[in-house]
Amino acid sequence: MSTGGHLARVPAWLERHALTLAAIATGVILLVMLYLPVAVVFVESILDGGSATLSAFVDVLTDPFYVGALAEVFADPLGIVGHLDALVGWLVAISVSVTVVTIPGLGIPIPWLSVETPGVRMGLFGFTAYQAGLSTLASLALGLPAAYVLATYEFWGRRTIRSLTILPFVLPGILVAVGFYATFGQGGTINAILGVVGLGPYPFIEWNPLAIVIVAHAFYNAPLVARVTVAAWESVDVRSVETARSLGASRRRAFFDVVLPQLWPAILTGALLTFIFTFMTFPIVLALGGLQLATVEVWIYDRVQRLDFQTAATLAVLETIISLGLTYAYLRYESAQSGLSRAASAPPRRPLFPSLRVALAPKRLAVVCYGLLAVVVFVFPLASLVVGSVTDGSGVTLRHYRFLLDRQLEGQTFQTLPVPAIRNSLVFGLATLVVAVPMGVVISVLTTRTGRGGTVVDALAMLPLAVSGIVFGIGLLQGLVFGISLPGGWRLQVTGTVAIVAAHAVAAYPFVTRTVSPLLANLDPAMVESARSLGASRYRALRDVELPLVASGIVAGAAFAFAISIGEFSSTVILASGTDSYTMPVAVERYLGRRSGPALAMGTVLLFVTAASFVVIDRVGGRFER
Amino acid sequence: MRRRTFVGSLTGATVAGFAGCLSRDDDDSNGDDSSDDAELAGDPESGTLTIATYDSMIDGNDPAGPWLTEAFEAAFPDATLEWTAPDSGLNHYIQLEEQDASMEADLYLGANIDDLARIDDALGDGGLFRELDADRLDRADRIRDGLDMGDPHDRVLAFDTGYISLVYDETVVDEPETFDDLLDPAFEDALIAQNAQTSDPGQAFLLWTIDAYGEDGYLEYWDDLDENGVRILDSWSDSYYGAYMEEERPMIVSYSTDQVFASAEGNDLSRHQIAFLEGQGYANPEGMGVFERASNPALAYTFMDFVLSNDAQAEIAQRNVQFPAVADEYVDLDDEFDQYAHEPPEAVTVGYEQLRGNLDEWVDDWARERAGH
Repeated sequence: MSTGGHLARVPAWLERHALTLAAIATGVILLVMLYLPVAVVFVESILDGGSATLSAFVDVLTDPFYVGALAEVFADPLGIVGHLDALVGWLVAISVSVTVVTIPGLGIPIPWLSVETPGVRMGLFGFTAYQAGLSTLASLALGLPAAYVLATYEFWGRRTIRSLTILPFVLPGILVAVGFYATFGQGGTINAILGVVGLGPYPFIEWNPLAIVIVAHAFYNAPLVARVTVAAWESVDVRSVETARSLGASRRRAFFDVVLPQLWPAILTGALLTFIFTFMTFPIVLALGGLQLATVEVWIYDRVQRLDFQTAATLAVLETIISLGLTYAYLRYESAQSGLSRAASAPPRRPLFPSLRVALAPKRLAVVCYGLLAVVVFVFPLASLVVGSVTDGSGVTLRHYRFLLDRQLEGQTFQTLPVPAIRNSLVFGLATLVVAVPMGVVISVLTTRTGRGGTVVDALAMLPLAVSGIVFGIGLLQGLVFGISLPGGWRLQVTGTVAIVAAHAVAAYPFVTRTVSPLLANLDPAMVESARSLGASRYRALRDVELPLVASGIVAGAAFAFAISIGEFSSTVILASGTDSYTMPVAVERYLGRRSGPALAMGTVLLFVTAASFVVIDRVGGRFER
Repeated sequence: MRRRTFVGSLTGATVAGFAGCLSRDDDDSNGDDSSDDAELAGDPESGTLTIATYDSMIDGNDPAGPWLTEAFEAAFPDATLEWTAPDSGLNHYIQLEEQDASMEADLYLGANIDDLARIDDALGDGGLFRELDADRLDRADRIRDGLDMGDPHDRVLAFDTGYISLVYDETVVDEPETFDDLLDPAFEDALIAQNAQTSDPGQAFLLWTIDAYGEDGYLEYWDDLDENGVRILDSWSDSYYGAYMEEERPMIVSYSTDQVFASAEGNDLSRHQIAFLEGQGYANPEGMGVFERASNPALAYTFMDFVLSNDAQAEIAQRNVQFPAVADEYVDLDDEFDQYAHEPPEAVTVGYEQLRGNLDEWVDDWARERAGH
């Protein structure tokens, strides 16, 4: 056979094995960049001076500081009678009473149902779960109305707002904390507005730091909920709604019976991701709430700082078990949801304010109220950062931006320059998108329609979400940056830009998987089968049949991948240390020093550069949706 | 252009897999280590010196690192300075030492006393840095008394020091004079402190209370502070730029050099008054030390001597907004700095001997009570 014949067969061979090759590449990346570093850390939890032991787990699980009232149960798992007695005693001691409380500052008395419990020591894990639960509820409460508005109404700027929903995701914690203080603090925006009508000032953050932390978590996560849900909403099959309506269902009935079931997987995805993220929250709780709101992650960080890797690893393993357990439970639910075949024909959107009369209808007024709330929660903190970057103690100034300009023009090689930071962020973001989207799709394809085994694999594939950023960072440092000794005096080291992109892709692909899988699982398998029976390779069927139908999920996932990469901090800072591959968030932290101005200016640059990229990504990506 | 390099390296690595990342363990990384310190290895005036430090030494606003580089390279034209600031700070080097991995840095700029205790808790006595031979440094005896840092292994020399104090708004509260004052109803819900787990000034303030009340009494004092509504936030920058500057509270644990910044930013100084409790400030001297496995210790000595010179001391103090380590006659500071940087009547520090083996437990006990859910 001629050489030409060989060459001609290469593309065909590649196409036939494309999926296998992509799966192998994904596996290699995961092995080196995820499982190896995580294993390096987790092994520490059971190693004590070279021998394996579970004593660290026993120590943590029997310490009321970590697990609260459960410590007694773990200490004596067989003493069931004693534990039941304690439980009964606790239940008996609960009392319910009605009291009258006054709203602070307004003097309006309202009846309040108060439940007195003898109190349960929640422990660090219990409190972490409690605040994560509240944060999830708040994120749903703020995110779902946004999804509703974006999916059902047409108005000026809708697409831009939809693109920008992902923006909070990329902001470093310090910027968000400063923005929140500037908004809700005693000298902040809200109090300035209240001052105009003669109220305040109120120390909102002091009054209830937990509430403010939860709002800050909603600031980060409600956009995520909204984004995931809008993507699903826009792929609701409008024909099934029309069918229901023609069969006599009311609009409300059609929504609850036809639309909502198609949205549930997306809503729960948003809730799950929010819970896991806020379970592993760290900088925000401490910055706004202080040590009294410390979470498990705070303690992991502290243990790492004190070089007590065994306790850090033990806490991390427990944290991961909880997150993965939740993920597994969710995935079982998700796979049970398939069967609704849907074509992506999005429901038509109604104009938001067609006329003044409609604009005053209750539903539109509710939208307006929600809009005002969203402005307070999302726009004020961001605007405060921008204002902070152009002011100092004595008024408006551009000197913080001049700092950036000077640094760019005169900075030395070992310093962090703004332009390389912007360029690195964008290049890494695009590279992450290119790597993470195929990875995410491959994992989706491999795990959908494979039953329970697929669910287990799928849950394991979610590991990057379930492992804390701090632990992942330690693993990368000890495993890949310091290197692992191999037999024969060799050492495996992975650092530099390739490692950064790979680490970003590992952090990002679960978002692609989670936005693609539910759509993929809901496709009619007959479509793929008929394509295959007509001679298409598995890859061909995926490319030509399945992907176009789940395009909205892919675009949503791609935007997430880009956002994760732009906002990623803990592994970037470790892998970029000593090289010129730092990113915008890293630059923000490095500029902080003992003056906030330059860091705020860099943060504002981060804000505008990423906002512009999201709008571009959505516009470009939008062409593939439909 | 860079972008092309990046894409090139990406494809290269994909083609070669991770093979390119395999390397032979460098067996002679500790090369000249065995040679006697009497004969310091390396050339004292040429070669490359890699200095490890923290972010704001090289990247903040008007940092000292670039000035030091230019001035040192001008004085020693055959020498080159390189800087690195790993995210995990000194822990990075402790871990490198534990894993016997290669150590690129020669000198560390910015180790404080509790770092030394931490090194020794992790690596054993006298770890990580060389014992310094002060006789080799012409200017070592310029260092002020009280800044000897108390290391039994003489591994570090102070190059500057800061004092932790309270900063308060005189229009809202009176000046607190003692620790007990802070428990007074007049200071209820007034103070912001930082988490001693995550913040240097936070830990320094905690140690100051241990110095004042002893290790048996400090937790009780903190319970009383809690009662009076102390607020503990994560880091100095969070608490300062957030809660304090947004006028959430009128008093914060901060540095006695605060007015240097406040006047430069054009802020009203009435919100930046300095209070020294008990007439004291907690001194946090920063030291420099040469890594045991430094490749060019002779040049490191030359650099340390340079850091103690008049000009370098003034520049470091003013750019870092810390006090110089040398006695007054060896440094000329701007009048502005002299006017706004306040030195406490008396400086206190918990010494190495006490910190060793105790620090982690003190901080842990303290933090567990504050976070007791």
